[in-house]
Formats: sequence, structure tokens, C-alpha cells
Amino acid sequence: MIFLAKLGMGLAGTVLVGGAALCSEGFIQVKVHEKQPGGTNVALIVPAAIAPIALKFVPSGHLAEASANMRPYLPLLDAAIPALEESPDGVLVEVIDPEEHVVIAKAGGSIVVDVNDRDDIVHVAVPLRAAQSSLHEIADSGGPI
Amino acid sequence: MRITKILMMLLLASVTAALAASPVQSAQQRYLHVKVNNPRTHELVRVNLPLTLAEKVIPAINHGQLQNGKVQVAGLAANQANLKMILEALKSAPEGEFVTVQEPDSNVRVAKEHGQMIVHVIDKGKEKVDVTIPWEVAQALASETNEDELNVEAAVKALESAGDVTLVTVTSQDENVRVWIDSRSSGE
Repeated sequence: MIFLAKLGMGLAGTVLVGGAALCSEGFIQVKVHEKQPGGTNVALIVPAAIAPIALKFVPSGHLAEASANMRPYLPLLDAAIPALEESPDGVLVEVIDPEEHVVIAKAGGSIVVDVNDRDDIVHVAVPLRAAQSSLHEIADSGGPI
Repeated sequence: MRITKILMMLLLASVTAALAASPVQSAQQRYLHVKVNNPRTHELVRVNLPLTLAEKVIPAINHGQLQNGKVQVAGLAANQANLKMILEALKSAPEGEFVTVQEPDSNVRVAKEHGQMIVHVIDKGKEKVDVTIPWEVAQALASETNEDELNVEAAVKALESAGDVTLVTVTSQDENVRVWIDSRSSGE
């Protein structure tokens, strides 16, 4: 019995530590609400640490074009993302027109994009650190830089 | 009592340590704001960029005319008088109007006022442009450059120590643009 209790505690500890590691980089949030009657509502919360790992399993052919487009801008992204992490929270870009309202903001270590147009309301929040790892993963998928 | 004193000292020590460990922002964050609105299409664009972010990003941009924080401007050095020389001459000149051009369809005025370089352009019937550049920023633009370059990186750094100032105002029938610096994160 004592052995089982120890085993249970060990497993619980491992799960806790694993969960903490998985959640350490924050969460990617995606919410989509389609405004038309009967429209789709999607709400997704995924640990951000999974994103770069998940990208490793995507066939490189699917990411080839994205990789090629992204590579020239990697130095810029590597400079911008840490600088953005150090910047205070706030709205970075806001676009308002009769068709849509777009807000790009930095909030709590994440870059948050909110789009409200005639058809949908979309909310995407991506932790900056995970964004940088994922972008590198996409860029690397095209072969060594 | 003794335990209370020990607990109070521990609390004070931990607060002090936390304050010492946290990054101290001695200077307030400065922002570059851009607002573009089109009264006809009812479009509005607002950008609020921390200057520290711009400082770190600009040197990393290598695209077109902008390379390593400097922008190439063809023909900037004209008749062997370079921008640095012009700015040095202007800096020591007394305040006042330097250039006024009045044509049937446009007026241009370049002046030095309150330690700033002012450019007013009125394109009659079309648009009005006002540019205000603090001297430190103008000098930074010309620092550590070749004759046909402007040092954008240094200018952005100089903007950090410039006061709240409206740098550019463009007013036309199609759109109104305002670019300014202050310490507010949300602009207007």
C-alpha cells in the first residue's frame, strides 16, 4: 500500500511538473464567432509550448513557401519580438473602417489580434516567445539557413 | 512581540529584495504615434509604437533604401554642400525664416523657431504639410553618414529625449495624417 501511495505521488508529481512545463510558455487562444444565424463558434486554448513541437510533424513541403517568405525577415523578427516582450502592454495598431475593426495589441507577454467585421469576430492571442520559436521552426523547415 | 518584529523585518527584507530585483524604469516610455484618417471613406488607422521598440527594430531592417538603420536618399548632397554642413550653418544662424517660396499653386516656408526646424508646405487646393524637427533629431539624421544617407536609427534615439512634439501634419481632402511623440501608450 505504501508502495502504491509512493507510486501515485510520483506519477502525480510527474504530471504536475509536465503540466507546468507545458504551460510555462503560456497559451495560444483562438476564438472565432460567425455572426450569421447558425454560424460556427470556435474556442481553442492550446499550450504554446506545443506549437513549435507540432510544427516539427508538419511535412516540410507544406511549409516550404512560408519558409521561403519568412527567411529574409528572420533577423527583423529576432530583433522585434524580444523588444516587443520588453515593451509595455498597449494597443500597437488599430484600424477602423466601415467594414471592420482590427486591433493588434500587446498584453501580458502575448500578441493579441482582434478582428470584428461584418461576418465574424476573431480573437487570437499568441505568446511572443512561442511565436518566435514557431517562426524559426517554419523558417528552418526549408532546410539549414 | 519578538516574533512579530522578526516577521516584520522579514517582510521588509523581502519587499526590498523584490524592488531591487525588478527592473527600474527611470525614464518614462516614449511613443511614436501615427494617426491617419480619411474623412471620405471613414477609415482610421492608429499606430502606437514604443520608441525603444523602433530603436531595436530599425537596425535589423535591410530592405530597399533602408539598410542598417540608414536610409539612402539619392541626390541628398547637392553642389558639394552636404547635409551636415547645412545643418551646422543653420544651427548657428539666428531664429527666423530662411526660405519662403510663393508660387501660384504652392507656398513653401522653411524656418527655425524655438530650437526646431519648421517646414510648411501649402499645395493650394490639395494639401497642407507641416514638418517640425527638433535640432537634435535633425543633427542625428546627419550623424555618422555618407553624403547621401540619413541616420534614421540615431534620429529615433534622439527622439527619445525630445519633448512631446508633433513631427508631421498632413491635411488634405483625401486624408489627414498626424505623427507625434509623447509618453502616452494610447495616443489621443
